[in-house]
Amino acid sequence: MNTGAHVSSATRHENIVEEADAATWVSDGMILAIGDPAPMAMIRQIIRRGVKELTVVGSGLALDLLIAAGCVRRTMAYYVGGGSGGAVAPSFRRAAEQGEIEVWECEEGILTTGLRAAAQGLPFLPWRGGVGTSLPEVNPDLKVIVDPIKGQTLIAVPAIEPDVAILHAAVSDAYGNVQHCGGPGWLDLFLQRAADRTIVQVEKIISNEEIRANPWATTIARADAVVRAPYGAHPFYSRGYYVQDRAFTRLYVEAASAAASSEDRSLLDHFLARYVYEPQTHGDYLEAVGVKQLIALYEY
Amino acid sequence: MANDNAAEGQSGPFDPTTASRQEIMATFLANDLEDGEILQIGAAMPVGEVAVRLAHFSHGPNMELIFIGARMNAAHLDVLPTPEFGWDRRTVRWAESYSDTGHRFDRVKDWHRRVFFVGGVQVDPYGNTNLIGVGDDHRRLRFRGPGSVGTSTLATLVGRYHIVLNSHTARTFVPRCDFVSAYGWGQGGADARTKLGLPGGGPKYCVTPLGVMDFAPDTKRMRLRSRHPGVSVEEIQANTGFDLDVGREVPTTPLPTPAQLEIIRTRADRRGALRH
Repeated sequence: MNTGAHVSSATRHENIVEEADAATWVSDGMILAIGDPAPMAMIRQIIRRGVKELTVVGSGLALDLLIAAGCVRRTMAYYVGGGSGGAVAPSFRRAAEQGEIEVWECEEGILTTGLRAAAQGLPFLPWRGGVGTSLPEVNPDLKVIVDPIKGQTLIAVPAIEPDVAILHAAVSDAYGNVQHCGGPGWLDLFLQRAADRTIVQVEKIISNEEIRANPWATTIARADAVVRAPYGAHPFYSRGYYVQDRAFTRLYVEAASAAASSEDRSLLDHFLARYVYEPQTHGDYLEAVGVKQLIALYEY
Repeated sequence: MANDNAAEGQSGPFDPTTASRQEIMATFLANDLEDGEILQIGAAMPVGEVAVRLAHFSHGPNMELIFIGARMNAAHLDVLPTPEFGWDRRTVRWAESYSDTGHRFDRVKDWHRRVFFVGGVQVDPYGNTNLIGVGDDHRRLRFRGPGSVGTSTLATLVGRYHIVLNSHTARTFVPRCDFVSAYGWGQGGADARTKLGLPGGGPKYCVTPLGVMDFAPDTKRMRLRSRHPGVSVEEIQANTGFDLDVGREVPTTPLPTPAQLEIIRTRADRRGALRH
C-alpha cells in the first residue's frame, strides 16, 4: 500500500532529453527508423557518435547523408531520390552499385504493411501490392503466399521492428505528447507504432496546458524522448516553421555526387566536417549555417 | 510581320503548331481523363501534373487531384499552384484534405476510379516497368534506380494507369526488364492480370517524347498508336529495343486545340516546365 507521503513525493517523469544523450540510444547494428520531415539534428548527432552497421528505414537525402558518413549497412527504403539534384541520391546509388550496402528492396505499401505488422505484434501481414513483380525475388523476406480464406495470391510482409524511431515534429510538452503542424509526417505514425522506442525532436516545447487545450491534435502520445531542436529539420522543411533550403541541399548533392562519380571525396569530406563533425551541438550547427540563411526560409 | 499577324488572327497567341512535344504528351493524357476520376500524381512528373491540371480546368470540375498526399479540387481557381512537393505546406494550403502515406492504404475500395502515371528506367513490350535498377545481379547493379516508390501497389490496384517516360531509347524500351517494380501485362495475354487476381486495370497508354503506344486487346503486346508531329515510324522503331506492332498507317498524335494550349500556358503550366 502506498502511504500518503509516498504519493505526495511522486512527480511525473519528464521526457526531455539532451540531444547527445538521446543519440546514445542508437548503437551499432540497430534498426533505425528516420521520419519525414527528417530529424536532421539527431541524425547529425548520430553520425558524430560514429555509429556503424545500421539498418535504416528511411528515404531521400537524409538517408543518403547517413550512407555518405559510413553509418549504414542496409537500407529499407521505398525511394531514395536525389531531390532536385538527380533521380537517384548519389551516395545511395554508389554504395548500392559497389555492394557496400545491402538494399532490402521494398515499396510504400509493402513497407507500411511490415510496420503495421510490428505495431500489432504479428509476425507478418499480407499485402496485394507487388504481386507479379520482382520484389519477392530480390527480397527473399517477402513471401508469396496463397491466402487460406479465399485462395488469393498475396505477399506476406514480415514485421519490420525498428529499435529506435527518430522523428521531427512541431511541438511537444515535457511528457512526450506531440502535436504536428499540418498533419503528421509521411510515415511517422507508423514508424512510432512499430519501433521499440521513439525520439521526437521538436521545434518548440510547449506547456502541458497548451496540449490539453486541444487533445484532438495530439498525434503521438508519450514519445519516449523529446529533444529540443528549433530548425532541427534543416536543410529540409518543417511544416508551419520553414521551407526546404534548396541551396543547401544542392551543396550536399554536388559534394556527394563528386565523391560518387570519382574517387575524390574532398568536397564531401569538407561538407561533412563543416556541417556535421565540427559543430558539437545543434546550436553550433545553426551558427555554421548562419542566421541569415535560416530566416530566409521562414516564409511561404 | 504581316504574315505573323495573319497567323495570330487565325489562332491567336496559342497556335497549336507551337506546342512542344511535352505539351502534346500532356494534352494526349488530359484527353483520356474523365470528369469524376481521382488522379494521383507523384513527384517529378511534370507531364502528368500538367495533364491533370489541363483536364481539371477544361472538362473535369469534379475530378479529385491528389498531389502526393494533398487532395484538392481547384476548379474554382484560375491557376493551380505548382507543387514542388505534395507535402509542402505551400501545396497543402490548396487541399481539402491531407493524408500521410500509410493511411492512404487504409481504404483502397475506390481505387478503381483512380488514375496515375508510372515512370521507369526500363519498360518492356508488355508494359512492365522497372524503377529498381539495371544489371544482372541485384546486389551489384550496373545502375541503381531510385526504388519502387508506391508504384507496385498503385499499379496493382488503380483502375488504369499510363506509363510516361521522359526519353524514348533502346536502353529504356527493352525486350525484358531486368527487374519489374510495377506489373503491367506480365508475359502478355488478356488474362495476364486476372490470373494473378490483380484488381486494377493495368497500363493503358505509354507516352513518350516520340509517340504514343497502347496494348493489343488480345496479346497485350505494345503497339504504336500514334507518332508526334515530325517523328517518323522508323525513328520510333529504331529507338525501341523490341519490335513494336505497327499498323499500316500510323496517325500523328493530335495537337492541343488553341483553347487547350491557352489553359496549359496561362493556368496549368505557368512556369513553362513543358516548354524547356
